[in-house]
Amino acid sequence: MHQMISELVEALQYTFIQRALIAGCLIAVCCSFLGVFLVLRKLSMIGDGLSHAAFATVAFALLLNQSPLLVSIPLLMLASVAIYALNKKANLYGDAAIGMIAGTGIALGVLLASISGGFNVDLFSYLFGSILAVGKEELYAAMFLCAAVISVVALFYNELFSISYDEEFAEVNGIEVKRVNVLLMFTTSITIALGIRLVGTMLISSLIIFPAVTALQISSSFKKALILSASVAVFSVISGIFAAYLLDFPAGATIVLMNALLFIISFIIRRIKS
Amino acid sequence: MKRNFSLLLFLASLSLLVFAACGKENEENTSNLEKEKIKVIATLFPSYDFARQIGRDKVEVKLLLPPGIEAHSFEPTPKDISAINKADIFIFTGGAMEPWSLDIIAGIDRKKTIVVDAGKGIKLLSISGEAEDAEELPEEKEHGEEEHHHNHAGKDPHFWMDFDNAKKMVDNIASALAEKDPAGKDFYLKNADDYKAKLDSMDEDYRSSLDKRRPRTIIYAGHFALGYMAKRYGLKLIFPYKGSSPNSEPTPKRIAYLIKTMKETGSKYVYHEELLEPRAAKVIAEQTGAKILLLHGAHNVSKKEIKDGTTYLDIMRTNLDNLKTGLGEEGKNEL
Repeated sequence: MHQMISELVEALQYTFIQRALIAGCLIAVCCSFLGVFLVLRKLSMIGDGLSHAAFATVAFALLLNQSPLLVSIPLLMLASVAIYALNKKANLYGDAAIGMIAGTGIALGVLLASISGGFNVDLFSYLFGSILAVGKEELYAAMFLCAAVISVVALFYNELFSISYDEEFAEVNGIEVKRVNVLLMFTTSITIALGIRLVGTMLISSLIIFPAVTALQISSSFKKALILSASVAVFSVISGIFAAYLLDFPAGATIVLMNALLFIISFIIRRIKS
Repeated sequence: MKRNFSLLLFLASLSLLVFAACGKENEENTSNLEKEKIKVIATLFPSYDFARQIGRDKVEVKLLLPPGIEAHSFEPTPKDISAINKADIFIFTGGAMEPWSLDIIAGIDRKKTIVVDAGKGIKLLSISGEAEDAEELPEEKEHGEEEHHHNHAGKDPHFWMDFDNAKKMVDNIASALAEKDPAGKDFYLKNADDYKAKLDSMDEDYRSSLDKRRPRTIIYAGHFALGYMAKRYGLKLIFPYKGSSPNSEPTPKRIAYLIKTMKETGSKYVYHEELLEPRAAKVIAEQTGAKILLLHGAHNVSKKEIKDGTTYLDIMRTNLDNLKTGLGEEGKNEL
């Protein structure tokens, strides 16, 4: 035990661990907040879908010799709105809409990669960030993002809450459903674009789904679900990074598995309670 | 209306088929005109470059991997497959490096296309550093795919990073060219000998420059690709990945270990691998104030390097320069 603690103290002295913890927690808060709304809207897979779409946007950016992040953010916003429009206008379920955008993204990415006749950098290395390799600017970006997501959720809490449960009822009550939806989609796509760069696709899509479903298992109110979701996410990041350090495991995968474990625990708690 | 639409769709697909057929005919006509040059397709950069050096203007060599694409994650397009089937010689580098090449080979008409295993006769190092026999070319697929992959477990497929192995690859490629074009046999063998002499002199440069230098610990924030080079020149490589899988992620403990080692040895340089964004190297450099240098594994090159006509020897020369810079003056900083 004593040795474990001294090892963790040692770990905390490394800049990359500090950054992993801070950036990881910030991204976790963003994802877990948005996740609750997205899961309830049956858009859980949007993290996965938009990261596939990012394949195309990164390829496009490399083709134009531009920063992948700056090109990806507006394009992913468009993709997220396309998912919403398909969902609403073409009367498709969210999973089908996400699947179509994801497929199109991958196909476009492959196409762009072969049209370009190759790149100077491997496409995938742009797509799969690692939580252990967060740069200083990326850390600032994560802080800014987190502040933005929290403000959006705080300012539009009532609107987001009502569209998550009953859109028609919200509309009757004079809420501009379309605008709130687009706002949610935009916030989500920016979070995902940044998150892919910072922590990688696997972690970003898991952090959207897991904390939200874990919290929804045992929360009695919506507000409690939001807070629990954020707590679960932050706990999974911190404990995941520490466990990965102690056990010499890859950090991202450990965090995801920690989330799976937390879900199982909350599931059992609910079964015992009921 | 609906029926009209389906009819239209059907007619459209029919006409597309006809177009496709015409297009194919044209292509074949032009390829008949260019028959003089031997068409070679190589999967990886080293064999591509060796074939260029040996065949010179008698061959037309194509690198299968598009520039900038990472070797392990590549997948051939239908056009690639058809190009391979039209080629005279197909050079691959083994199933561990390119799992996809085995599928391609299974579909090749051996009477038309000579399939060369560039690594034939090369002892593969296991990840822990022991030598074992290289796998022979799968003549008939008796073992089945799965067994084949199993045989490669724990083997390091980056054998071209050792100059002796590079020479064997040159021989393998030269004899395939001689087989395809017996009239040019002397030309190919002479070029191969010339090129092997160049490899030898580069090897000598490595030995003489690296032998005197201490410390010999290389902080390499990349994947396991330089095992052969490290073994040949007695370098100690420390890298942040567990195992050799290109998909593995760095573990926090190993990055910490790299940083610690750098502090202990007073090393001022951290190396990164080619093509991938050097994220891990940047993190380590930031913490230790070290500089970042490239150690190129030569699997593939970037679009820019293709344009500049970079060769295997250019890459190895730069690697040596960077190693010299990183290891510092002789005798300093003894570990």
